[in-house]
Amino acid sequence: MKKDLKQSYGLDPRTKICLLFLCVFAALVAPSLKYEFCLVVMICLLGIYQRVTRYALISFLIYFLIYKTTAILVQINGNFQVALIAFLGLIHKVYPCGILSGIMISTTRVTEFITAMYKLHIPQKVVIPLAVMLRYLPTIKEDMGYIKDAMYLRDVSPSFLGFFKNPLFTAECIYVPLMMRALQTANELTVASITRGIENPVKRTSYIQLGFHIRDIFIVICFIVLTCLCFI
Amino acid sequence: MNYQKNENKFNTKDLVTIGIFTALFFVFQLIGAFPLMMNPATMFFMPFGIALLCGPIILLLLAQVAKRGSLIIVGIVNSIIWFVTGMHWGMVIGYTLMGIIADFVAGIKDYKSIKLNILAYALFCLGPTGSFVVYFIDPSGWATTMLHNGTSMEIIKGLNEIAASWILPVILIGTLLIATISGIIGKKLLKKQFEKVGMIQ
Repeated sequence: MKKDLKQSYGLDPRTKICLLFLCVFAALVAPSLKYEFCLVVMICLLGIYQRVTRYALISFLIYFLIYKTTAILVQINGNFQVALIAFLGLIHKVYPCGILSGIMISTTRVTEFITAMYKLHIPQKVVIPLAVMLRYLPTIKEDMGYIKDAMYLRDVSPSFLGFFKNPLFTAECIYVPLMMRALQTANELTVASITRGIENPVKRTSYIQLGFHIRDIFIVICFIVLTCLCFI
Repeated sequence: MNYQKNENKFNTKDLVTIGIFTALFFVFQLIGAFPLMMNPATMFFMPFGIALLCGPIILLLLAQVAKRGSLIIVGIVNSIIWFVTGMHWGMVIGYTLMGIIADFVAGIKDYKSIKLNILAYALFCLGPTGSFVVYFIDPSGWATTMLHNGTSMEIIKGLNEIAASWILPVILIGTLLIATISGIIGKKLLKKQFEKVGMIQ
């Protein structure tokens, strides 16, 4: 089978989910900023290995700036400090996971993700809505464009100024067509997916072959070691 | 989960509808949360933005899929998406937990009572406050990562004092209040636009 370059370096989506869990845990128990810095460096190396070099380097630079400014900002006193520390804390807890998920999203295709979900034996009640949701997200953006055009046509301004002048009316003009469209699409998608056999009770097969490789195991071990380091 | 009656089971249409409305819910969450999230001064009020925008969507979903477990699925799918996009785990667990509670509340009257549905939505909106609850339980623990080197005990003490103060109740009660307002607006919207044309009964 012919494989493209990205796939031959790609990790199994299940590995990525596992890494994300480890990363959330590591960011939760991180004892110091230095440790977290190592975590970010590790994630960026993973990003370079996954061939998203530019993204990894940019995120690393941004983290470096945050890392340097945190030390200064923490010294500010006063009421504002509570909010500031909460904000910085959230950034430090979320940022490593954010980079990792960015790498994950840009290297995983939706079909791969769904297949991985099936392999993890997550019930269909969750997987089908998830798949529909991921498929429908770009459509919402498209629909929003149409709705905006229609609003201009009927002399309703979808801009911020128009919103402040008449908030309820403008909101109605956005919500109602979006939700009407959603209801219609629900009908159409249901028919389409039943035609393609989504109700088939037999175990699903997949075009994409997922499997663990040595690189998956190696990277997971690296991250586990890094997570364990924070208890020493 | 055992579903005894056949009409209480999810069919494909219900699952697809839930998926589509979760997508809408997610987009409106982003619109509501992002402007507030990016600013340290307003970060705590991020759940307000979410609560304000999403009322009509959840109410219409409950009117469409009046079956036990629909809000649980919305909560879980939403949690998965937020988890995969790297959000804080407090919010992820919060959504799943509040999804289960909200589903229970709305299920008391079989998803038919609009008042209970609004209450369920308000409870569901408490999900994103999860991260802040984690923060206020142990603010110094939250900040230790940053404060490790050369921080005076005074700052940590001050943090602990403020944690006992008014911010957390304001977040929780404010979210409930704004969600209720959003729900009432949503109810009017549904009555005016959707019941008239017969989209919902």
